[in-house]
Amino acid sequence: MFSSLYPFYMVFRVKMFLNIRNGLSVATNSSKVIRQLCTKAAAFENVTNNKQSNESSKNNVVDYRHIYPEFLPDPKPEFRNVLREKLERSDMIARRTQIQIPEFYVGSILAVTSSDKHTPGKNNRFVGICIDREGCGLRATFILRNVIEQQGVEVKFELYDPTLHKIEVLRLEKRLDDKLFYLRDALPQYSTFDPNMEPELLPGGSTVPVNNLKVKLKPKPWLERWERQNLQGVEDLGLPEKFYIRAKELEKPWEKYDLMKDYMKTIPEEEQTEIFSEVQSHLHKLEVTRKQMKRKRVFVKPSKLA
Amino acid sequence: MLTNRFLNLQKTVSLAKNYLHTSGERYEIQKLTRLRVVDNSEIGKQAMAEGKPPRCIHVYNKTGVGRIGDKVLVAIKGEKKKGILVGLKQNQKTKVPKFDSNNLVLIDDNGTPMGTRIHVPIPTILRTILKEKTQAKGADYTKILAIASKFV
Amino acid sequence: MSIIISTIQKCCVKSLEEKLLALSLTSTTQIREKHKLNPPPRLRNPTWFTKQNRVVKEEFLTHENKEFLREIVQDKVVESESKLPVVSPKEWNDKLQRTGVIARKVGIYPMWLKDGTRIQTTLLQVLDNHVIRYYTPEEYDPPRKQVGGIKNKKGCLLLGAESADPSEFTKEYCGLFRESGVIPKRVLSRFFVSPDAVLPLGTQVNVLHFQVGNVVDVRGKTVDRGFQGVMKRHGFKGMPASHGVTKTHRKGGCIGGGGEKGRVWPGTKMPGHMGNRHRIQKGLKILRINTKYNIMWVSGQAIAGETNSIVTIYDTKLPLRKPTNPVPFPTYIGEIDSTIPEDIYDEQVHMFNDPTISYDEK
Repeated sequence: MFSSLYPFYMVFRVKMFLNIRNGLSVATNSSKVIRQLCTKAAAFENVTNNKQSNESSKNNVVDYRHIYPEFLPDPKPEFRNVLREKLERSDMIARRTQIQIPEFYVGSILAVTSSDKHTPGKNNRFVGICIDREGCGLRATFILRNVIEQQGVEVKFELYDPTLHKIEVLRLEKRLDDKLFYLRDALPQYSTFDPNMEPELLPGGSTVPVNNLKVKLKPKPWLERWERQNLQGVEDLGLPEKFYIRAKELEKPWEKYDLMKDYMKTIPEEEQTEIFSEVQSHLHKLEVTRKQMKRKRVFVKPSKLA
Repeated sequence: MLTNRFLNLQKTVSLAKNYLHTSGERYEIQKLTRLRVVDNSEIGKQAMAEGKPPRCIHVYNKTGVGRIGDKVLVAIKGEKKKGILVGLKQNQKTKVPKFDSNNLVLIDDNGTPMGTRIHVPIPTILRTILKEKTQAKGADYTKILAIASKFV
Repeated sequence: MSIIISTIQKCCVKSLEEKLLALSLTSTTQIREKHKLNPPPRLRNPTWFTKQNRVVKEEFLTHENKEFLREIVQDKVVESESKLPVVSPKEWNDKLQRTGVIARKVGIYPMWLKDGTRIQTTLLQVLDNHVIRYYTPEEYDPPRKQVGGIKNKKGCLLLGAESADPSEFTKEYCGLFRESGVIPKRVLSRFFVSPDAVLPLGTQVNVLHFQVGNVVDVRGKTVDRGFQGVMKRHGFKGMPASHGVTKTHRKGGCIGGGGEKGRVWPGTKMPGHMGNRHRIQKGLKILRINTKYNIMWVSGQAIAGETNSIVTIYDTKLPLRKPTNPVPFPTYIGEIDSTIPEDIYDEQVHMFNDPTISYDEK
């Protein structure tokens, strides 16, 4: 349907790109792209095949795009500048020498310790589930949500804010959706987390688990029309038929086949590898020094007062 | 099945009527916004228990939109009372918490809270804001901080 | 003799008569508003406004010849770099005006201050600025004459940035650079300087011309938005979407009253071309300087122009924010070598590899 929209030579330009959103790598050559044009089914096959092959090759530089998504610049062509991106990355790495920013995803449970201007001399610790992660470079932010004393609280943090002392991952997992804003309309038990929670360790070398939890929403009114957003992590909404009919009308099922749209929204794979191979050595060095420091740390016997 | 669906529809319609937002998407606090009393003052507890939460009838600032730490005048159980906004639904700056409801603590003219305890967490930024708003001779809003149970 | 004189007189009289006749003829056919049809030339372009780019044609050169041309250009570059003009430092005082520089707006990103507040900063890359020409105050003929005498006349310094292959320019344009011996540049810009702040031709100006903590003004060209309506151009409210309104949803409405003022007043806000105008953002503080890439971080995110557009940076004109401590005058002299740190931060700014901020109890 879109072969009529875009001239054929454009298709050749799009021969290699990565889809960050879905976390799938579509490394197809031009002939494959043409095949994709012919049949939708073939496209699906390609994607799934590549996904499997990708999982097997862990620790690839390409995997860094899930672990460190903020190192990729804004793909908007009018904002791009190679020199600025380079300096921004070096500043990010400079900040990372002071704080360990771990791998986390939307759906992971984090604890953030930060110093607060309003309570001098004390550190503030906030535990919650990450419901959103966005922005690139030094602008990267994430939102934590928790229910404290029957009151839903959300705090937005900047990843590179120099007042953050520590970012801990208490439970590393993914959810079925990219954004969990629907937790605002869900029953409070789904976003209640113990502030004194112990970090749960994953066995080494294992992949990040996906939590298939289906959340039950409160009855309407809601903050957004969730039935229109094709959410995976939500139980049956129990709405009258007309809501689903309307949602069906407003659906845009063709967008996932829009190669140009994806191309404009993502950084090409070649550039990604370039960026991450530049960053990789620094990140690796940081990791090594951190491990050394950990080993050096002397065990302090806890005193009775503590 | 059909009747069940019909009941469901009726329920949603009636609920929508009760919680009609006047301030739209931005969750701004302006005149006629419903607020939630979060202290244990007698009048506040009764109003919340009856399902008649107070309405903001004036915001004491120049924009007419209530921000965090602003003083508002509310209509509660047929009376006019003043209160301080201690938590908003609206999007906040980074590191300032955003809450699921618009929280209010009732005070009298001197800034003394009417209750003795706040049963939800309140943002730490209020320490600075309320200190700034406290006049030398007159209202002392920092008493609210003393009755807070938890800060985030 | 007398005959000759009389004949000459006759001739003269005759020609005079003809001229007068011609004059009388023209004066009878009156042309109204003639002064408007042929206005006196008010604006004269500066001398360096010539056609810049040559029409490039296929010259069917052999590979060797192309190589040869490239070698010549390379030699010229080396030659121009070998001649380093001697600049002597002078005493600075706050009455003197230094030159500005040409820079490129590279992007925007946040930085944090030592007290934890976040600020937006714009990155400006100072390009390879070279002095191309100097016009003394008497010599410089401004495009628009100023009325009245001017105290403290300023000279005009022409700076160029972004060296390029001379073959892409016209001969005339390349001629501008002959005097200074600099390789032709893509961007030219003029700066008014005090006669004391003159730099010899061919001098390079780098980012260390400015100092961290000082304040600058930045001039850029706003984003060109083309012909726009009043809603976008002036922020008008428009008209209602419904309730019987037809064909006037984004129009401005009334543009003037009646009666005595029954005309459109000058300056009425109407649709028209938006953007593509030079605008100066004043009072921006320099927060950080990178000497390796010639970049400076300046407070604020509202400098006119898109990313990768050309801007010019001046010392500030704001009277209360002028520097109090001496600045490099007439410019920074000397090479940028290992003795100079790569990154120079303002004392307010939190360095990214500094330890995490914590607030002490007072």
